[in-house]
Amino acid sequence: MIPIENFLVLSGILFSIGIYGVLARRNAVLIIMSVELMLQAVSINFIAFAVYLHPEQFTGLIFAIFVITIAAAEVGLALGIILRIFRNKGTANVDEVDMLKW
Amino acid sequence: MDWVLFALIAIPVGAVLVFMLIPSRYPQLVRNVAVVSGFAMFVLSVLVFVKYEFGGGSGLRFDLQLDWLENVAFLGENGITYHLAVDGISAPMVLLTGIVIFAGVFISWNIDYRNKDYFVLLFLLVSGVFGVFLSLDLFFLFFFYEVAVLPMYLLIAVWGASSHFGTFTRTKEYAAMKLVLYLVGGSVLIFIGIIATFMEAGQGTFDLPVLGAVTYDENFQKAVFPLFALGFGILAGLWPFHTWSPDGHVAAPTAVSMLHAGVLMKLGAFGILRVAITLFPEGAEFWAPVLMTLGVTGALYGAVSAMAQRDLKYMVGYSSVSHMGFVLMGLATLTTIGVNGAVLQMFAHGVMTALMFAMVGAVYDQAHVRDMTLFGGLAQKTPRLAAFFAIAGLSSLGLPGLAGFVAEFHIFVGTFRAGYEWAGVLGILAAAITATYILRMLAMAFFGPFNERWAGLKEMRLGEQFGGALLIVFIVFMGVWPAPFIDRISESVEFILRV
Amino acid sequence: MEEAWLIPALPAAAFVILLLFGKYLPRHGDWLAIGAIATSFVLFFFVLADLLDDMVGTEFDKALGQSGIEWVSFGDFELRLGFQVDQLAIVMLAVVTFITLMVLVYSTGYMKGDPRYGWYFAAISLFAAAMLTLVLADNFLLLYAAWEGVGFGSYLLIGFWHEKRSATEAAKKAFITTRIGDVGLLIGIILLWREAGTFDMSEIFEFAESGGYSSEYLTMAVLFLFAGAVGKSAQFPLHVWLPDAMEGPTPVSALIHAATMVVAGVYLVARLMPLFAAADPIALNVVTAIGLTTVMMSATMGLVATDIKRVIAYSTINSLGLMMVALGSLSVSAAMLYLFAHSFFKALLFLSAGSVIHATERQEVSELGGLARRMPVTAAVFAVGALSMAGIVPLAGFWAKDEILNVAGDSQNFVVYGFLMLSVFITALYMTRVVILTFLGEPRDREAHQHAHDAEPVMTLPLLLLAGLTVMAGFVVFDGVGEALGFPGGIGEFVFLEGPEAFHFPWDVAVLSTLSAVAGLAGGFYFWSGAAEPARRAGELFRPAYEILKRKFFMDDIYQWAIDRVVLAAGGVIAWFDRNVVNDTGVDGSARLGVFAGFGMKFLETGKLPNYALAIVTGVIVLAIVFMVVRV
Repeated sequence: MIPIENFLVLSGILFSIGIYGVLARRNAVLIIMSVELMLQAVSINFIAFAVYLHPEQFTGLIFAIFVITIAAAEVGLALGIILRIFRNKGTANVDEVDMLKW
Repeated sequence: MDWVLFALIAIPVGAVLVFMLIPSRYPQLVRNVAVVSGFAMFVLSVLVFVKYEFGGGSGLRFDLQLDWLENVAFLGENGITYHLAVDGISAPMVLLTGIVIFAGVFISWNIDYRNKDYFVLLFLLVSGVFGVFLSLDLFFLFFFYEVAVLPMYLLIAVWGASSHFGTFTRTKEYAAMKLVLYLVGGSVLIFIGIIATFMEAGQGTFDLPVLGAVTYDENFQKAVFPLFALGFGILAGLWPFHTWSPDGHVAAPTAVSMLHAGVLMKLGAFGILRVAITLFPEGAEFWAPVLMTLGVTGALYGAVSAMAQRDLKYMVGYSSVSHMGFVLMGLATLTTIGVNGAVLQMFAHGVMTALMFAMVGAVYDQAHVRDMTLFGGLAQKTPRLAAFFAIAGLSSLGLPGLAGFVAEFHIFVGTFRAGYEWAGVLGILAAAITATYILRMLAMAFFGPFNERWAGLKEMRLGEQFGGALLIVFIVFMGVWPAPFIDRISESVEFILRV
Repeated sequence: MEEAWLIPALPAAAFVILLLFGKYLPRHGDWLAIGAIATSFVLFFFVLADLLDDMVGTEFDKALGQSGIEWVSFGDFELRLGFQVDQLAIVMLAVVTFITLMVLVYSTGYMKGDPRYGWYFAAISLFAAAMLTLVLADNFLLLYAAWEGVGFGSYLLIGFWHEKRSATEAAKKAFITTRIGDVGLLIGIILLWREAGTFDMSEIFEFAESGGYSSEYLTMAVLFLFAGAVGKSAQFPLHVWLPDAMEGPTPVSALIHAATMVVAGVYLVARLMPLFAAADPIALNVVTAIGLTTVMMSATMGLVATDIKRVIAYSTINSLGLMMVALGSLSVSAAMLYLFAHSFFKALLFLSAGSVIHATERQEVSELGGLARRMPVTAAVFAVGALSMAGIVPLAGFWAKDEILNVAGDSQNFVVYGFLMLSVFITALYMTRVVILTFLGEPRDREAHQHAHDAEPVMTLPLLLLAGLTVMAGFVVFDGVGEALGFPGGIGEFVFLEGPEAFHFPWDVAVLSTLSAVAGLAGGFYFWSGAAEPARRAGELFRPAYEILKRKFFMDDIYQWAIDRVVLAAGGVIAWFDRNVVNDTGVDGSARLGVFAGFGMKFLETGKLPNYALAIVTGVIVLAIVFMVVRV
């Protein structure tokens, strides 16, 4: 069996890339993609722990499916918002979209 | 008979529903429904008071307990129950509420602006008040407490009046906001106290008799008593947390002022007695000197402030602070006499201050000013109004034969018995100062040469006269024959104080 | 004796009926008020007969005279309201019922045509009910209640003509001033109760006798109680309300501010004499000192007052002070005798002054004069009253004043005695002055003089009755008269504190006091007869003294200053404090602090997504580290 550390390192790398993307990118679409990366990193963790700790239960797997579902919904919503913003302001650069301050 | 208690809360709630169904183009129908349901509440409250049976024990009568929430994980078997009962202390309070709301309906007769919504909120408030007086479950007590407080905001902010004084202005929105923020602030403390008590008791129930049977750790009592005393005390006008009260009274429409000063402030004192003193006797003993000091300060401070007021409503508002100071003094004595006096004072002050506000309203409705220096000799034009006002004032300055004297006498005697001579002396002094500002007001506004500016002033409306007369009947009744009140009150007070 | 409760109940019932239905009764129901008090007066004789029957020799069985109801009762606390009749009460009953009856009859003439005629009779009935309750109360609670009740009746009646600013102010002043004394009264009552556990007077007396109170405690308590008497009986320094109270209708002054309410303080001290006697002697010394100060101040102020009613008011204060001195000398008999006699001649003085005012519509003596020719009857009865006040043989005032001088001479030092003798001189002086200025000499206001005439019979009859009693009432001191009336030994054997006090008639006192009084009369004629030239010269010679008296020893000014600069200023300061410090700073300030904090914090919300993301990430990392370190 592949040791669990491998999965954890993989998910750690994916998560860090996601964080980097969220913090460093300015394009809203790229930020959403980074968020997706982080979510998938979490999913990997769920599945790995589920299989290694309680192989007879499906809790972790079910959570992974939840995460995928919610991620899909979230992307749908977020892309919709981004489209509206792009229409209105002509840019998807988050630095220039600061309407929700104060 | 336990249906009576249920009905007392159900009638105002039912009236609220009926109001909502009435199209707003029929204001007269709204008034009629208000009168009928007001009368029903009055009759039922009299019934509760009269039918109250004596006979020792906890003094709880008409016990009605309906399950509401049980077997929920963290609650025990009787977790939260709709537990209603009246004891000798709440019986007079229920009577008081019935009287004041019935009179208040007549006083509110001339409200034209959205009168349907006005009565919806007013009756909602009353249902909350009845609920607090009748609930024996901490959860519901708290719930009804909030129900009683929150309609105040809209009643003041929508139907109230802003006042402009030479140097400053008090808008009705300001008054409403301050009042509600203050009272909600108080209820936060109460809420913390309730949760703490629930956890400490470990009985898995909010039922007051069950919680009352538990003996709490002394340090716990000392820690939790101030939460309740302060939280409820804010509503009772505890000095120095009283400033919401005069401003709120001044901004509120007449009937709301009546209910507010007459009944709502009593909720606070009632809460201190029903919850804080009942559950935490040792805590009460520990904090009593502080409560006494604050009570005396409030009594004197309110009286002296009232002396400096020119606005009629501010004067009555500060006199409320002063009289609620007497109530707190009585509670702080922790003797049967003093606490009896406090409850008597709650009733007496409720009736007489409601009458005073009604009369101020009757003047203000016509004159549109409340500055007493602008009046003069009104007694010649409106003798009944002057007489009613004078009776309310005389009761509040403690004239024997009227309600105020009986109450204040018990309170002073109680303070002396409990060993707070200094407080008793200062309290009696405050009562003498009351005479000064009441007589000064009467002399300025109602006596002396007639001010021709008010030649067009008319006597009170018939409804106002009826409402006022109703209140006077009870002022005189209690002043002349207080035994029916005291018999009921003392039974329960003795139980609470465990004597 | 069971019917004693009816005596106050009848006027009370009359008040309620007049208040509710007076408008619909013929003559506004004045006959009802008069009928009620007349019945009370008749009942008084039955009560008196009962009382005399109960007396065995001079002993009197107190328990027989008591009745009562339980008013409030719980635990060990009980408030019984009851009436008792004893010798003290019977003297007061006689005075109050009779004078009230006289005044009401007189008022049907005096108040005729007043727009609030019915209300006047209702208010007097209320006052009479309260006053009779006060007299009969057997416990302190009822006494206090009635005490406040008479104060309220006095407030209503002084302010009867409330259209007049001055009447309103006088009513307010009277109520508040006496209320200040009542603070002490209530404190004293509660102090007595706290040790004894009862409000019942006779039980408290027993408790005091058995040594239940410590001496200091009792002294403190009775001094507090005495404060109430000082307020009600217009003693220094709370006397200032009584002269102003003359704003009320004159019959009211006769009833309330001469014969009945103002002597309530004297009655209270007389009632409590067992306590005063058991307390430290300081208590009685205070009573004497206050009484003597009052006597001297009021007598001198009476010399310069120019309003006929005010002169009589000062003479009332003067008399009340005398009674207090008698009580300070531990003689209930002398005080009650004076009270008895005083009520007749003082009511007479006020009512005849009322006739003058009624006829001339003038009150200032400078506008009167020469009225004896136009109103001979009034002048004659006024003179009788004045002579009685001055203490001329054989009028009632003489016997009573003599007895007080006698007991004061016995138990006080010669300074007190000397001052009392001086006061007799001054009293005669100013009573002569007011008689001369009003009735003798030349009329100073022709027009008023033209219209003046003796009043109608319904007003004159009470005057004549009172004049007759003024002449005769003093004889009750003699054994023979007492025996004829049913109490052998005279009033001294009937009304007493510990043992019967026989009436003394030491010639030295009688001669000395008569000499003083006659000197006062002669002085009065010297100073004020004719053009009153000597008086004017004396006034100029002692200009500063005259000014001080005219300004009433600056007492009113001092009080006014205290009210304006201390009380109202304190009120203003507290109100300002409440608005600016408690409300605007404390309440609004903390609200503003919240708003300010929110205002500062809102700039953290940049609206830039990366900032938020960075904050979240930092937060997670910090939390992770914290949890790792703490190891929850």
